[in-house]
Parts: sequence; C-alpha cells; structure tokens
Amino acid sequence: MSEAILRTVNLTKKFGGLTATDNLSLNLPGGRLQAIIGPNGAGKTTLFNLISGLLKPDSGRVFFRDRDITGLRPHEISRLGIKRTMQIKSVFNQLSVTENLWITRQASQRVLHPFRPASRDAATRERVDQTLEQIGMTALAHRIAGTLSYGDIAMLEIGMALISDPQLLLLDEPICGMSPAETERAVAKIRELARRIDIIIIEHDMEVVFGIADDITVLAQGAVLVTGSPDEISNNERVREAYLGRPEDEDYLEEAVNA
Amino acid sequence: MIVFAAFLLTVPWTVPALINSFWVSVIAEILIWSLFAASANLLFGYVGLLSFGQALFFGFGMYGVGIGIDQLGLSFWPAFGLGIAASMAMALVAGVFAVRLTWHYFAIITVVFSLIFYFLAVSMKWLTGGDDGINFALPPTFSFGSTQWSFADPNFQYFFILATVAVCFYLMHLVIGSSLGKAFVAVRENDVRASLIGLNVYLVRLTAFVMAGFLAGVAGALFAFFGRYASASYMFYNISGEGLVWAIVGGAGTLLGPVVGTTLFIIIREVVSTHWEHHSLIVGVLAILAVILAPKGMVGLWRDALDRITASRADRSAPAKLRIES
Repeated sequence: MSEAILRTVNLTKKFGGLTATDNLSLNLPGGRLQAIIGPNGAGKTTLFNLISGLLKPDSGRVFFRDRDITGLRPHEISRLGIKRTMQIKSVFNQLSVTENLWITRQASQRVLHPFRPASRDAATRERVDQTLEQIGMTALAHRIAGTLSYGDIAMLEIGMALISDPQLLLLDEPICGMSPAETERAVAKIRELARRIDIIIIEHDMEVVFGIADDITVLAQGAVLVTGSPDEISNNERVREAYLGRPEDEDYLEEAVNA
Repeated sequence: MIVFAAFLLTVPWTVPALINSFWVSVIAEILIWSLFAASANLLFGYVGLLSFGQALFFGFGMYGVGIGIDQLGLSFWPAFGLGIAASMAMALVAGVFAVRLTWHYFAIITVVFSLIFYFLAVSMKWLTGGDDGINFALPPTFSFGSTQWSFADPNFQYFFILATVAVCFYLMHLVIGSSLGKAFVAVRENDVRASLIGLNVYLVRLTAFVMAGFLAGVAGALFAFFGRYASASYMFYNISGEGLVWAIVGGAGTLLGPVVGTTLFIIIREVVSTHWEHHSLIVGVLAILAVILAPKGMVGLWRDALDRITASRADRSAPAKLRIES
C-alpha cells in the first residue's frame, strides 16, 4: 500500500450544538479511488470543506502527503494541487465555457499579468482546447455557463478541476442530477481519471460507488463507521444498520450485492 | 467610435462654433467625472464591490495637488504625482480593511471611511482650509526656456485632460483584457469558486481597490487643476453615490458605460439647471428607470439592440438554420 495521500487526525468541527465532524481520523492511501458514503448529515461535505479550507476545524489536523495543511486558506490549498467540485454545482455563471476554463488555468499562476491581453497566452489556449475535448464540450465552448444543462455544468466543473493539473481531486456528488446518459459519460470519465489522479468521491448513488470505488469509507454522525472494499462494505451489518429506515438506500445496497 | 474620437479631438473648435465656448469646459468636466465613474465601475462592474468611498480618493487627489502647490510649493508634475500617490496610499489603507468584507458591509465601511476623512478635512483648517478649501495659483505644466504651456490656455487645458483621461481608459482596457481582469470577473461571479481555483480573493479585491483609487485620484487631481482649488465637499460620500449612478445607468461592467452615463447626467444638469432648480429629480427618475428597465445600462441596451438587429437579419437570410437550432 502506498503512502497516504490524505490523512486526518482527530478532526472535529461543531456547528453550534451539532457535531458535524467528530474526532475523525482517516488514512486514505494514494493510487486507489476512494469513496466516502454515509447517510444524509453524516458530515461528508463538511469533511471536504475542512480539507479544501472553506471551513476551519475546531481541533485536529489535516495532512496532504505528510504536509500539514490545517488552517491554510482555500487558494493556498488549491495551489498545492487539491481541487474540488461542489455538491451544488459552482462555476462562473456569466462567463462562457471557454472563459471558465481559461481563468481557472491562469489562476494557478503566481502573478497575474495586469496589462498583457489574456487571449495572447497560446499555451493556455491550447490547454483549454484540449480540456474541452477531454470533457466532450468543444461544441459548447462559447455557451454562457449559466445557460448549460445541469449535467453539462457538472462536467464543466470537472473540466475546471482537471485543467489545473490536480494531484488530488475531491468530487462532491459529481453525478447528482445527471441524466442516465450523462451519468454514464461522467462515470467513464472519472474511471479514466482515477488511473492518473488520486480521487476521493462523495456519492449517494450506490450503484456508481460500488462500481468504481477501490475503497469505501462509511461515515455516520461525523465519525468513521467502517472502511473496506466494496464487498466488505456491502456485507457489513453496521452499514446496513446505519442506513436502516432508508429503504431506498438499502435497496441500492442489495442491488449492489446482487450485481 | 471613430466619429466620437474625432469629435473629442476637435472640441475646442467645433463646440464654440456650434454652441459656445462654455461647453468646452463642460466637456472637459465630463471627461474628468467619467474617469471618476470609471473608478466606481471598476469596483462594482468588474469585481462586484459596491463602493461609496471613491469620493474619498477623488478628494485625496484634489488635496494632494492643492496642498502640494499651496503649502509645499511644488510645481505641476510633482503636485500631480503627490495627488495620485496620496489617493492610492489612502486606497491601500482603506482597502486592507474594507475588502475583507463584501456587499452591504463593504458599502458601509467605505461610507464610514469617507465620513471620517471628510470631517477630518473640514476640521483641519491649517492644512485643508476647512470649509473654504484651498485656492491656488496654477504652475505651468511644461516650460521650455521662455515658452510655457499651462492650464491658463483653455485649449491646452482641454487637451491635457483629454489625453490623461484617454490614457487611463486605455490602461483600464488593458487590465480588463488581461488575466488579472479575468480574475476580477471571476471574483465578482463566484468568490468561493474563485478561491477554490487558486485565486487569492482578498489580494485580487485589494489590487482592484488600489487601481480604482488610482483612477479616482487622477480624476481628483485633474479636477483640482481644472478648478484651481481643492475642497472637502468633493470628499463627501454623496459624490461617490453620483459616480455609481453614472456608472450603473451608463452600463456597469462595460469600459465606456461610465462615459455614457456621466455625459448624459452632466448634460441634463447643465441644460436643465438653468431653467429649473430641481434637476436632480430628473436624475433620480432616470436612475430608477435604468435600474428597472436596463439593468445592464445604456451600453447594455445598445448592445442588445445591435444583437437584435443582427439576429433579425440572420433570421431573414437564414430562417431554416435558425429553426434547426431552436
């Protein structure tokens, strides 16, 4: 097993009386597609917010490849190569698809040139075209992002994460709201990416999770319930308990077992 | 556009011939205030920060020139430089605090800064002349031997203002098209996403704030030379509000929107105020109409109209293609 790409030590975050992340210690090895699942309110998105710097933990630490990133600001963490997508899709709505990718690529530069026309940057243009092709959106290049379908926005968000050469990609429910065809395209893309990039994915669609994940971590009430391979997770009694009273999700689990 | 530029270059001859020479100085004033509106527009239209503090930097530009000439005995260019440096320094100080906040908190802190320094300027009579302001005699701008050019020559004054304003707008044009300009828009659109792609949102906002301070400072310094005085009344935040209204009605987030808005309102003021003292009523009504009917301002209306014309032409020439797209 390779070294941990991401490690948390006794991570705690409280919102008033609610403990969203409860003394959480994770050790996610690199080179494997990691999935984080758990019932609603288990603290999955909070964990991503703590990793990417949008939230500061009350206590505990976060390590990215043995580098302590606790308390760094979002842009500093982003520049270390941790990129993420949001549960509620988040792009620059008034800008075109191309512009969204363009600014994302240029944002990784340390100094933004104040006077040179951005469009004169041939290397960036090439990279933008390449990424458009990669995410299959070349035909939509000049569309304003806010007018795209939900699935396309989600795909654009993945493209924005890709164009900046991430080392670790955090995907927060990437296929939520996608049509079956879009889901298929996105899942294929994620699988392909996972060969080159370390990915941690939060997903509610159990079929997808059990289909692509190498390791699954189940969170419940802000703490790790169990970690294991998809097989181990689907046969685990405690996971079933955590999802009990949620027949829909249980159905998914059974489907996955029988699949 | 070319017609517009040609007009501006020939104002000192055409305008006196067509109307009278008084309007030459009105146009010079429009140019200066356009630059001021551009400063509000850079923050609101491009970075999404609603600043009521731009008059503060305008005032620092004015006082930099006024105090530089009257108290320090500086000549034209050092005084000009002092005005600009003072406003940028003030923008840096105010910005360090202000750009931590957004929306109404940001707007309020800019008003507070404006008020603090307004009252300071009014009370520090020994430095600022208090309510009376500073009146000063103009030093020459250029002198070669015995030949001098100064603002005493109305044509020179006009062209100096035109050239300075044009250079500033050109700089702003460059910035908007650069990767920094793209970062401005990214921060305006979605600051959380901007930080997640690696932009230092705080630094981007602060940079824009100081740049806007520069534009307002240049406008203030020019206005001081133009009026031969500096006064705290131009530092009050209602002046900032006017600049914002001009920028929004003209078209926030467009390079020339502030010019259009400023031109419209100053012409209304000059034409109507001689007949009717409540000319600001018209300004208010127009501002409300613009916000409701033309959220992208007059420049936005103009662009939409152009789009519609080109679209309807395309419609007539290629109806089949359009049907496929729809």
